[in-house]
Amino acid sequence: MPLVNNKVGDDSTVGKDKALADGEALVDSLIKVVACYRHLASCVGSCTDSLQLRDELRQTREKAQKLAVAICHHLTSHLRNKSLPEEQRKEMELLWVAFSSSLELLHVDMCKVFKMGDIFSLADTGTLVQTGLQGGSSEVAARALSIPDLNQAQPPALPAGLESQEQSTLEQEISQIDHMIDDMEMKVNVLRWMVEPHGPQYADPLSSTDSASLALLSMDEERPGHQPLCQRSHIFVLLLLFAVVFVAATLSVCIFLFS
Amino acid sequence: MTIRNAIRDHGQRYRPRMACLQKVEKVLLEMQDPRTGVKSQPQRLVITTIPHAITGEDIIAWLADRFQIDTQEARSFGSMLVALGYIYPLQDHKRLLIKPDASLYRFQTPYFWPTQQWPVEDTDYAIYLAKRNIRKKGILELHEQEQYNRLHKWMNHKWDFIVMQAKEQYRAAKERKKPDRVVFECQERAYWVVHRPPPGTVSAMDYGLERRIDPNADEVTELFPPDVPVNIVSLFCRLVKYCTTYNSHDPFLSKCLPSNPWLTDDVTFWTLNRLNVEVPSKMRVERWTFSFGELLSDPRGRDDFRLFLKKEFSSENLAFWESCEDLKWGTAATMREKAEQIYKTFLARGAPRWINIDGKTMEITVNGLRHPHRYVLDAAQTHIYMLMKKDKYGRYIKSPVFKDTMKKAICPEEHKFSRPSLSPIILRQQELEQRAKMAANAPVDITQVMSKLSQQGKEAPQRRTSK
Repeated sequence: MPLVNNKVGDDSTVGKDKALADGEALVDSLIKVVACYRHLASCVGSCTDSLQLRDELRQTREKAQKLAVAICHHLTSHLRNKSLPEEQRKEMELLWVAFSSSLELLHVDMCKVFKMGDIFSLADTGTLVQTGLQGGSSEVAARALSIPDLNQAQPPALPAGLESQEQSTLEQEISQIDHMIDDMEMKVNVLRWMVEPHGPQYADPLSSTDSASLALLSMDEERPGHQPLCQRSHIFVLLLLFAVVFVAATLSVCIFLFS
Repeated sequence: MTIRNAIRDHGQRYRPRMACLQKVEKVLLEMQDPRTGVKSQPQRLVITTIPHAITGEDIIAWLADRFQIDTQEARSFGSMLVALGYIYPLQDHKRLLIKPDASLYRFQTPYFWPTQQWPVEDTDYAIYLAKRNIRKKGILELHEQEQYNRLHKWMNHKWDFIVMQAKEQYRAAKERKKPDRVVFECQERAYWVVHRPPPGTVSAMDYGLERRIDPNADEVTELFPPDVPVNIVSLFCRLVKYCTTYNSHDPFLSKCLPSNPWLTDDVTFWTLNRLNVEVPSKMRVERWTFSFGELLSDPRGRDDFRLFLKKEFSSENLAFWESCEDLKWGTAATMREKAEQIYKTFLARGAPRWINIDGKTMEITVNGLRHPHRYVLDAAQTHIYMLMKKDKYGRYIKSPVFKDTMKKAICPEEHKFSRPSLSPIILRQQELEQRAKMAANAPVDITQVMSKLSQQGKEAPQRRTSK
């Protein structure tokens, strides 16, 4: 009997928890997509800028917008519901703050991509800045779209009309996001100073083994000016080590064979 | 550009235009041209090579050649390019200048170029610092640490988002190939060295104070907007009408009855026109007919109007208006009680002196009365004022009350100067008149006077000798 009662009581809270969990999942994926969009946007105008990059940007942006619209509906409907219990409301407000901040980041990135798209036209590849980037960004785009591998199909050679069409679509979408942000502020009044975050001030390091790039960077910092010589001596030492190891291995094999 | 970020710039600041940025961008695009620009070489790191690194001496040589300037100037120009953030050094990244040797530099990606359009956001800086902290704990320098703590305090509500975004950006970066990741990290680091320099350094992006007006907005250069002629004519007409109406009531332009106290020292005018005198003067009553405002501002007129309204059984309107005025001009301490009193007397359902205002105004007023302030009853007061003006005022002017008052109004006579005037001209005239009078009464001839005197003298001793 008590079990039945508990079940009846739990249904509503389960429903609400599900809503919260849904909201959290949506906001998490939006944050991921916005982060990937930023990485892709930083390549625009550089020597790796290409139709493929623009296409990936477009796909990522569309995904972000879809997520944004979904989250907007979800959170607005829940926050306008006056019968929401207090803790749920607090959680929803946290999600709301995260959502509006990601939307603002996305808006700025989209504006920058638009402006740079105007300046750096793909038709004239000589003006693309040589920044030292080599590889493509398809892995980042794949991560954004949550698919294991991006289809490598190359779109055909570009007529100028397609690029301007893309620009105008971008312009429209930027104004759409603008309207969404304004609407949000009108509909739901979240007091930013009342929202308290859960997490700690310092985030825990994600992996302590990723020191390789760190090593590359720190090499830059610590030895200014002597780098070429240093690297050569480093390689020489490594070669020597390999030679010694090789000799030792050969000797041991010989001993093993002849004994 | 049609897309402006002004909406999201909540500070609504306008950054001063740095025209040099666009010029530098042109120079940079020329510099990075693979054929005609600065020649690039690959940078050899431990396990990989990254292309497109340029040496300081090459940059200086190219600039000297392109602009036909000497090496010293080319060097300072190159340092400016580095200080603005268009080229970043690969070694010794904190010092933003060009060294005329084989030290390496690289071009900054356009995403991180300095712009005036989008301000450098603190949120991005917080995300960047959090990312660095995630990569290796404790790597932040002292000033970065302080900034991190400060941002944590001021953007506390966003902190979860910032940490999550930092983690996601870190994970997204890991998807890229190793050399690209290194390049991106160098780019981002260089960007923040330019825009958040350590304290005590001079930043090239320091453009001074931010402006309050938009320098790109059109300035108003015409003195009069195009539709002014119509306005001027109507203003003029209004002015003329005002002058003609009030001309006879002005104590300086026309005679003041009985007399202007400042000129004649006679205070009858003031006694007759006291604020609450029983019988007003004709001029005063005439002024009440000019406008409703005049009637209300004169206390005697207001009394008359109140009498009229009492006869019409609609005196609550004026009472409400007066209490609203009282609330507006009263002390702040009494405001709450006054507002409550007014609500109980005039606005509540079934109140003793309920005023008739439309539903919308009533709703606004009742809502506002929850948090009463000085002007909370403004809407209702205006409504009642217009009601009285349009309806009651006209009726008042035609009513027997007003006609009665007008009949009873006195018109004082002009002041007669019965007291002797102190003017010297008049005194002199009077003196002359006196003398003339005396001369007319007195004997004219001196001999006659003498003979008269001698006769009088003869008579006197004769009387004495006869005795």
